[in-house]
Amino acid sequence: MLLAYKTALASPRIRASAIEATEFPTLADAMDVWAVPRVVVNGVPQWDGAVPERVFLDRILAPAFE
Amino acid sequence: MPIFGTEEEEKVRELLDALERPVELLVAHGPEEMPLAGARDVDFGDETQRIVEELAALSDRVTYRVETEPEGFERYPAIAVLPDGVDVGIRYYGLPWGYELGSLILGVVEAGKRESTLRPESIERLATLQHDLSIDVFVTPT
Repeated sequence: MLLAYKTALASPRIRASAIEATEFPTLADAMDVWAVPRVVVNGVPQWDGAVPERVFLDRILAPAFE
Repeated sequence: MPIFGTEEEEKVRELLDALERPVELLVAHGPEEMPLAGARDVDFGDETQRIVEELAALSDRVTYRVETEPEGFERYPAIAVLPDGVDVGIRYYGLPWGYELGSLILGVVEAGKRESTLRPESIERLATLQHDLSIDVFVTPT
């Protein structure tokens, strides 16, 4: 979670939200949340679990999101 | 009942002492989704506000305000973390309790730093970003 917040602080292009899954079950269902943390980029589920900073950057900066 | 025990309070105070700039927390109230059965015993909005009030009481650099359905929020309750009072797109949706209270506090600490703690190469890579990104991280309190 902290990495997402750090990227939002470092880039005006990035917004980062933590979403408490049990409180928003409809959205969590729509995003197929069954393990946390589940990371969703631009509304599309991507991966579960914490990853190192370099890997996090690799994934969010992937060409698929351009 | 207070949110923090005496020892916890001391730790949080120490963390918040490191803030190099003011951080404002905006508590956003609005219509809440009906959660799982039984969970209605908790008023999520009220509890969220209470946590933020207690956090703000632990540091001169942390302030808060409360609004109903402000612009820029998708669900409620929510907290926006505003470094220097500026909305940089950081949100916490839901009641930050248990483990996730720690995430929120670390988010406030991070927002209170003037320099990013990301590695220099990461900052360089983010500077090349030409499009907007929205990162949602689903979490649970335990």
